[in-house]
Amino acid sequence: MDTLVQLTDVSKRYESDEPPAVAHVSMELARGESVAIMGPSGSGKSTLLNLIAGLDRPTSGAVTVGGERVDTLSETGVARYRRRQVGMIFQFFNLLDDMTVMDNVLLPAQLAGLPAKQARGRADELIAALRIGQHKDAYPARLSGGERQRVAIARALVNRPALLLADEPTGALDTASGEAIGELLLDLNSSGQTLILVTHNPDLATRYARRVIEIVDGRIASDACATGVCK
Amino acid sequence: MKANPVVRAARGGLFGRRVQTIVIGLVVFASTAASTLALGLVVDSNAPFDRAFAAQHGADVTAAVTGASSAQLAGTTGLPGVTASAGPFPQTTVSVASQVTPSIHVFSGGHKGGTAITVHQQLTLVGRSSPGGQVDDLTLKAGHWADGPGQIVLSSQSGLQLGVGSQLTVTGVPGSPKLTVVGIATSVTDTAQGWVTPSEIAALHAAGTPEVSQMLYQFSTAGTAAAVNSDIASIRGALPYGSVLGAQSWLTAKAQATSSFAPWVPFIVAFGLIGLIMSVLIVINVVSGAVVAGIRRIGILKSIGFSPPQVIAAYVLQVAVPAAVGCAVGVIAGNLMAVPMLGQTAQVYGVGSLAVPFWVSLAVPLAMLGLVGATALLIALRAGRMSAVQAIATGRAPRPKHGYGVHRLLARTRLPRTVTIGLAGPFARPTRTLVTLAAIVFGGTAVIFGFGLSTSLDRVQADLSRAASEQVQVFLAGRQGPIVINGKSSATLSLAAQEHTVQDALRDQPGTLHDVAEADGQVSVPGQSDQLSLIGFGGDASWTGYAMISGHWYSGPDQVDVNTAFLNDTSTKVGDQYTLTSGGKHTTVQIAGEVFDPNGGQPEMIGAIATLTAADPGLSPHQYLAQLASSTDVGAYVNALNSTLGKGYLVSVNDSGGAALPAIQGLIATLTLLIAVVAGLAVLNTAVLQTREQVHDLGVFKAVGMTPPQTITMVISTVAGTGLVAGLIAIPAGVTLHRYVLPVMGNAAQTNLPAAVLDVYHAPELILLALSGLVIAVAGALAPAGWAARTRTVVALRAE
Repeated sequence: MDTLVQLTDVSKRYESDEPPAVAHVSMELARGESVAIMGPSGSGKSTLLNLIAGLDRPTSGAVTVGGERVDTLSETGVARYRRRQVGMIFQFFNLLDDMTVMDNVLLPAQLAGLPAKQARGRADELIAALRIGQHKDAYPARLSGGERQRVAIARALVNRPALLLADEPTGALDTASGEAIGELLLDLNSSGQTLILVTHNPDLATRYARRVIEIVDGRIASDACATGVCK
Repeated sequence: MKANPVVRAARGGLFGRRVQTIVIGLVVFASTAASTLALGLVVDSNAPFDRAFAAQHGADVTAAVTGASSAQLAGTTGLPGVTASAGPFPQTTVSVASQVTPSIHVFSGGHKGGTAITVHQQLTLVGRSSPGGQVDDLTLKAGHWADGPGQIVLSSQSGLQLGVGSQLTVTGVPGSPKLTVVGIATSVTDTAQGWVTPSEIAALHAAGTPEVSQMLYQFSTAGTAAAVNSDIASIRGALPYGSVLGAQSWLTAKAQATSSFAPWVPFIVAFGLIGLIMSVLIVINVVSGAVVAGIRRIGILKSIGFSPPQVIAAYVLQVAVPAAVGCAVGVIAGNLMAVPMLGQTAQVYGVGSLAVPFWVSLAVPLAMLGLVGATALLIALRAGRMSAVQAIATGRAPRPKHGYGVHRLLARTRLPRTVTIGLAGPFARPTRTLVTLAAIVFGGTAVIFGFGLSTSLDRVQADLSRAASEQVQVFLAGRQGPIVINGKSSATLSLAAQEHTVQDALRDQPGTLHDVAEADGQVSVPGQSDQLSLIGFGGDASWTGYAMISGHWYSGPDQVDVNTAFLNDTSTKVGDQYTLTSGGKHTTVQIAGEVFDPNGGQPEMIGAIATLTAADPGLSPHQYLAQLASSTDVGAYVNALNSTLGKGYLVSVNDSGGAALPAIQGLIATLTLLIAVVAGLAVLNTAVLQTREQVHDLGVFKAVGMTPPQTITMVISTVAGTGLVAGLIAIPAGVTLHRYVLPVMGNAAQTNLPAAVLDVYHAPELILLALSGLVIAVAGALAPAGWAARTRTVVALRAE
């Protein structure tokens, strides 16, 4: 198995007198897999995603992505790691309201120092593929929820990350838009994109991921293939 | 007992927004300190002598008395009109010699030291056991009061450039006793050139000369010359005839002090006003920003039951508490900063000491607190009138409605993305940006003005002292006859013989480049109230270094040069003819040029001795001036010349140093720095507000891969553009201020200014000075940039 993500006994505790948000989690994710991390509110699923993304540091344990120890990187190193290896999609999109759709999509490529022509070409390609080309000069406030999430996906993919992380990607969308985004993520995974999806909804987990890891009180309660067959 | 809900809400806001609380406190502290100092400077610049005179219990009349008994002197203290007195203090006049290493202004700029030379001077010494007293309370500037034999406290106005620890040798007294300078003090009416212990006077008193005492008086009426003359007459009448050797009026000291400090008042007032305006501007900016940032919290308070008056009170309290602390600490800091700065100002003004008036220390913090409260109240009132939902919606991550177009434009440029994001930032909040721009403009203007002023004053000092050209002076006894030089009477030679002796000595002395005889005189001119000063030269004096304001140096027997006061008094201009009259003889000369030589506001004419004898037939040389070759050691030259000429001639160095200029330069530098720091705090506030408001966007930037160095670049770029623009605006502002203030200073000194004094700004300097705006901006943004870089991404993303 070509392991892309490896967590080894990872724990995260915010306050010393409170229970850990994540407790002794170990897991491996292969390249090309799609995994849903599912659990109720406060179970630690978003914390786990943040640890993989390098947005937060574990209290103990190791987080390795693409052979690189993420938890020991400097702040500059972890920012560079996110540029290269990770694309993030958030529940509330986290687009920059004072930048156009095109500028939002281009941002990670510009921060990574990609030549302007190359970055623009890649952005155009993604905007077209995600069917938001007619909005490329518009501002996010004018778009629907589904359209904004497409912009967020395009931004997440512009640097061709090895790993796509989605935290409740349909949580702020209506049913139809949510299903459309879910299908989109499935398509991306079918073309080889490694995907980790965080959700509290078991239906979504089983529909849009092939493997479901259940988290309860910061610990892995179960780790099973959605259809019973993981390959 | 439970705290009042308003107090609890305010306390929660104070501790919940610690950075904002600290910034408010810091800005109000700096503004209060700067305003206290600035207003103190402005107030003290209005009649500084009068303030210092009152504070130091100056003597209305200083009398030198001999041949009167103690009882008779005590009797004068009870004369009608005498409100206070001090003395009798023993007094004597001594000749002293001291070793001075001259600081010589060189052609290439700067100064160099040289071989030490011996300087001779007469000093009036008074014996006092302490500097304090009911009258003439002396201000000790350095060291300590004399408390034993062989010690002297020099007056800062003695003319001797000596510091604590220096030694003087008293010549003309058996044993040539030495006196060690243990302190430097100032008398507001310059009652003595030095002070020793009372018993020391007896040791220094020359045998056979009458004993003299100094008496100091304050009178109930001494406001006019006539009143003071009447007071002096009453003293004379109370003492034996002829016992009052001399009496000095305080009005004479005031006139001298006023003419010397008047030129400096405009620039000090200019800096003071800049400081005051900036402080008000920045406090309004900071407080309004803080309250606007809290509008969402106001909405939340209202939604849980706070009434509009309660939320307004909570918010005003939340801002007023750090402001009150800032005011209290700021006024103390302002008074502490004032000690050295007003000390420098007092030195510039030539008065003993200046202090921040008590009412300034009271009025400034109250006004600052009032300003804070009024600003907070006005904005909180607006929020208080909103519904809870409206306030929450308005306050939630307030979306700017401006700057979108600029964002797009800048995104198209080739600049790094972090820079373009930062540069576009100010356009989102145009009002806040304008206020920040104004603050940096003020700061940059102060820097540019301060630089120009400092350079101009350096040139004024060089032009007036002519120390680079008239490096050595050789004094003759002249036609007046023998005078005491070097503690001994000069040789009685004819003037012609003296001149030949000096000319031969100068020509034979290696290192002499140029020399010329100089004659000074004063004549009354029909129709003019002021006497006309004459400066005549016995040969080519074009090298003496007089700066020309207009026209040219006189080049013939029928030409003269004059100063501004002459042109004003006689209503003439360069190129006009003027008739010199003496004993019925008329000589017409042409005014060839206007020289830069204020001469204390008195008219002055410069020309050949042969020409000026038409106005003053008795005009004759009293000194020779010499310019030396550039490699010559001035001290060695002077010592060699002294050795050649021997006793009877006084050779001295034209020392370019003066006590006033370093004090002025120090004051300019300190005021400039203070204003730049306050401007930097305005930038700090803007950067903090901006990073706080956009902390969620900061989280997004970091989430998509912005590194800490890129974050710092972005934050600094948000103010760098403003700083650069402000620096460019500050150039014409600073240059204009300089062009306005310098002539005002010149007018106060009753002189026009040479072009070189005004033309101090050139392209290379202006380019560097324009960067002062950028430097102020970057310095103010560094701390918030660091905070932004260190902010955890996940925390920033959770912020709304």
